[in-house]
Amino acid sequence: MIRPAIVFAVVRRELLEIVRNRTLLAAIVLPPILLVAIPILVTALGARNSLPPDVVANLVAARPEWAGLSPRQVADAFGLQQTLLFFLLMPATIPLAIASYSIVGEKQTRSLEAVIAAPISTAELLAGKAIAAVAPAVVTVWLAYAALIVVAGVALGTELARIVIDPTWLATVFVLGPAIGLLSVVIGMAISSRVNDPRAAQQLGTVIVLPLFGFFVIQLQSGHLLSAREYLLAAAAVFAVGVAGLRVGVRLFGRESILTRWR
Amino acid sequence: MTALTQLTDRPMVRTIGLGRRFGDQWAIQNLDLELAPGEVFALLGPNGAGKTTTVRLLTGLIAPTAGNAWLDGVDVVSDPHEVRRRIGLLTETPSLYERLSAEENLDFFGRLHGLPAALRAERIEELLRMFELWDRRADRAGAFSKGMKQKLAIARALLHEPKVLFLDEPTSSLDPEAAFIVREAMATLKREGRTIVLASHNLDEVERLADRVGFVRGRLLRVDSPARLRAGAAEPVVIADLRAAPSSDLVVRLRDRAFVRDLAVDGRRVRVRVSDPESATPQLARELVGCGADILGIRVETASLESVYFDVLGIAPTVNGAPS
Repeated sequence: MIRPAIVFAVVRRELLEIVRNRTLLAAIVLPPILLVAIPILVTALGARNSLPPDVVANLVAARPEWAGLSPRQVADAFGLQQTLLFFLLMPATIPLAIASYSIVGEKQTRSLEAVIAAPISTAELLAGKAIAAVAPAVVTVWLAYAALIVVAGVALGTELARIVIDPTWLATVFVLGPAIGLLSVVIGMAISSRVNDPRAAQQLGTVIVLPLFGFFVIQLQSGHLLSAREYLLAAAAVFAVGVAGLRVGVRLFGRESILTRWR
Repeated sequence: MTALTQLTDRPMVRTIGLGRRFGDQWAIQNLDLELAPGEVFALLGPNGAGKTTTVRLLTGLIAPTAGNAWLDGVDVVSDPHEVRRRIGLLTETPSLYERLSAEENLDFFGRLHGLPAALRAERIEELLRMFELWDRRADRAGAFSKGMKQKLAIARALLHEPKVLFLDEPTSSLDPEAAFIVREAMATLKREGRTIVLASHNLDEVERLADRVGFVRGRLLRVDSPARLRAGAAEPVVIADLRAAPSSDLVVRLRDRAFVRDLAVDGRRVRVRVSDPESATPQLARELVGCGADILGIRVETASLESVYFDVLGIAPTVNGAPS
């Protein structure tokens, strides 16, 4: 049985440590600023060339709601849609950074030895750490998304701004993003339990972004845009892998493992 | 906790045939031990002797390969969670969250132990005042000296008023001043009547604090009080320093006395091996004075715990390759 009060105690302590770690804080605060600025700048200042008519036709077929846009606006919309990738990168990288610093930091100070001598279960400890790593990323992405909607409306006009609130964005920001955050934490925990440098853990953990770039390249190459349904299916798959990874994590965070294998 | 795991009329710690193997190597085996409530028990042994493994077994942090253990009547194997409610553990390193303040560190552990907010605040203040850290409560633990960190770690171990306190080499990495501070804190805990298991290399510390000592090297080799261990190691020697070297008549006369097991003269010093120094010392003084010798000083020398340690563990210490 997981006791919420114990999980909350772990989350609270982790968050206190995060806000006092300047490096980590920068890793959380800076990406959303870029996240809002880059899509707007790319769209507003990017090449205004229209796409070939057959590509525009394909895109409109995939996105009937873009039928009212001019070919140049379709090109802008396509470009803006690609920036969705950034909203997948952030939930991948922020939890990874938090988990890496948290666990490697605990290894360096051996603080977990005192924790595991307290009446806390492995599941409670793991849940607290996972929530504390994923929550800042999710909240940050949501705040950045809200800012993007406002800024896009002002800078690009309502027709293009409407693109960022279509179902693909909603599925990405509110479903796939948190699922990727969970998977990122699992990967961060697994790697951090084996290395002694948080930066090394992050570097190794960046393998998680490779599939995301795969999404991006496939869309660019094929001119095919993933639908909200496809994003939701991807979210389900990622979530399933994340949950399975958490089960493995319970073993990694077992008391004996921490005492005898974490070096 | 089930009724079956709860013993009645119980010692505070009890083990039967307890052992733990890592791979093919037994870290500790066949450990049979009973500790009474309020007892301070020291585990003595060299590095790798199994002291830390024993502490981890008794605190439910690792599972035994063989045997059983109970802490306050609770089965360590079947109910380790309940065991952890009843113990306080000071690990070899303070294991603090260095970005958190002293108060925040304790608050976190108070929450893990389920202490209500008011009680938590009360205990934190009480312990920080006890260890003279109250004025530094808002400072980050990372800014503390080693001694202060260790005191904070002891405060953390005491926060929930554990039945048994485990101290794993509490002064091993400390400078003399910090070690003194921590030893004073441990002495305070002993005076409070807490059951303490102390794993240590420090013989002086053990001798001052422990009611009983257990020598460990892969298994429990011997258990007794420091005084009995010393007394059992070798017969005490009464040493008398005289104003002048004793005459041969005096030496002959002393050798005839029943309380004298052996006698040696080294200049003006007389060394008499006795079985009972309490009765032999005044007798020796009377004999010396009766023969006209002027006594400058007289004292009893017993075996040191260090010599007992070497004897029990079968260690022959050498200095530069030569026996010391």
